[in-house]
Amino acid sequence: MSAVPSRARWGLVLLVGLGVLSLVAGRLFPEQLASACPLGVDPMRPDRTVCELAFGGLWVSLAVGLCAGGLGTLIGLLVAAVARLLGGAWEQTILRGVDAVFALPDVLVVMVLQLAGQSLADAGHSGGLGPFGLMVASLALVGWAGPARIFRNRLATLEGQEFVAAARALGGGGTHILRVHLWPALRPFALAVFLSRLPTAILTESTVSFFGIARMEPMSLGRYLGTSYAALIYEGGSRVVLPAWALLVLLVLGASLASQALSASPRKVT
Amino acid sequence: MAMLPLTTESDAKRQVSPELAASYKRDLGIGEPLGFLRPWEKLWRGERLGTSAQGITGDELARKLSGSVGVGMMALPLALAWALGFALVRTQWRKGRWAALGDIVPALAFGTPVFIPALLFAPAVVERGHMLPELTAALVTSIWPGIFLGTLVGDALETELSRDYVRTALGKGLAPGTVLRRHVLPNVLPALLDAVGPVATTLLAGSFAAERVLGLPYFGQLYVLAVLNKQVAVVVVATTTFASLLVIVSLGVEVLRHVVDPRSREARA
Repeated sequence: MSAVPSRARWGLVLLVGLGVLSLVAGRLFPEQLASACPLGVDPMRPDRTVCELAFGGLWVSLAVGLCAGGLGTLIGLLVAAVARLLGGAWEQTILRGVDAVFALPDVLVVMVLQLAGQSLADAGHSGGLGPFGLMVASLALVGWAGPARIFRNRLATLEGQEFVAAARALGGGGTHILRVHLWPALRPFALAVFLSRLPTAILTESTVSFFGIARMEPMSLGRYLGTSYAALIYEGGSRVVLPAWALLVLLVLGASLASQALSASPRKVT
Repeated sequence: MAMLPLTTESDAKRQVSPELAASYKRDLGIGEPLGFLRPWEKLWRGERLGTSAQGITGDELARKLSGSVGVGMMALPLALAWALGFALVRTQWRKGRWAALGDIVPALAFGTPVFIPALLFAPAVVERGHMLPELTAALVTSIWPGIFLGTLVGDALETELSRDYVRTALGKGLAPGTVLRRHVLPNVLPALLDAVGPVATTLLAGSFAAERVLGLPYFGQLYVLAVLNKQVAVVVVATTTFASLLVIVSLGVEVLRHVVDPRSREARA
């Protein structure tokens, strides 16, 4: 733990703390949360308190972010590794494809994928994906290009180092070098990239859900804000919206602090 | 993750009738070579897109797009103002006890989706005219891209200020303001240009949420409603139009970089 920079530690503590809080408050003891909520009930859902909806939404948003961020990072890592292994013209072609996907605006593409996925689901061809799975798949399909570019650049940098040249001189093949020498050096960086994807996935999901496009139940923070915004506009109900906003900001703050500190910290390559 | 099961009734409501499916197939040219061009042919002939009266004509599409681009054009200078202000303030914070704010403010800006400040402003501006909703949309859309640009500019500024040529210029008696304007800023500009493409994308995409909350009848509102109403032809045309706009912005940035950055001209030569 001492090798982890203090800013990253603060970020990870904040993230894990929010996760535990949402699990304990929103999922394990919802009755206690409902009875002790000082913010009252949501005008749009009088059967639920603001605290229940906010912490329940935090749990769903966090789950979406973790799954989509993890899947996107994994796909990006695979694409980067394949590109480096193939090399030459193949690598350049893959990179141009990655650039094309990276240039697409996340929110729009996720909206289109949701439309396509929901149409397939309505026609009975969803392949077992519910609204949650559809959202995770949409976000991962949009979000892999950024990690792929980052991983490819980091792999290219690592391959320029002496220990890789030595391994090559001793007859190490591409996959052997990738698996035995590069992956251990890349692992902490992969965690930083994953943490940097987490807030992007959560915010994209929030925006798409806010528009009312995703059908997720239980509601994520974005969907909760989308269904409750009439309360803010017409009844001055900031008490309804501000807790969810604060939770979103804390999530992003935790992930950003951890990601920036982990990706910036110099690490010895052995 | 628990899901609410669809009831038979709602499931039946979501089933597409054979007539509607045939209409979608005809409208979108599904299964035909170059069928994806069918919506564009309809637009070219001046016909209304989609399978209902809620569709849109080419003229309406162009008008709505110009509205959103207008909001984006208002947001760009605002984002640059945020960027410059934040870069300068962050440089000051770095030296003092407020250093942590340099990390917290970007996280706060990034963690605030565009729709939240739009919601906070909405009660005051929704019913008012005189471009106030448009200005508000531009303002709320510009905050995060501005802070993002400010972080990049601040980093580039610090790097350049620590270089030898700056020390030499100051040692020869040049005023700090002159060194900044004549030597440092031209070297910071390429970093700014690198980020303008993604920022333009963020501004245009961000304006969708602001338009929706503030009730602006432009491209973003059209897009969201088209997705919600499953007007596939409108979504196809709107998406390709938006993607083309982004390509034009990227090309514009490349041309601008070629003009202002001698290093990019040398790299191509």
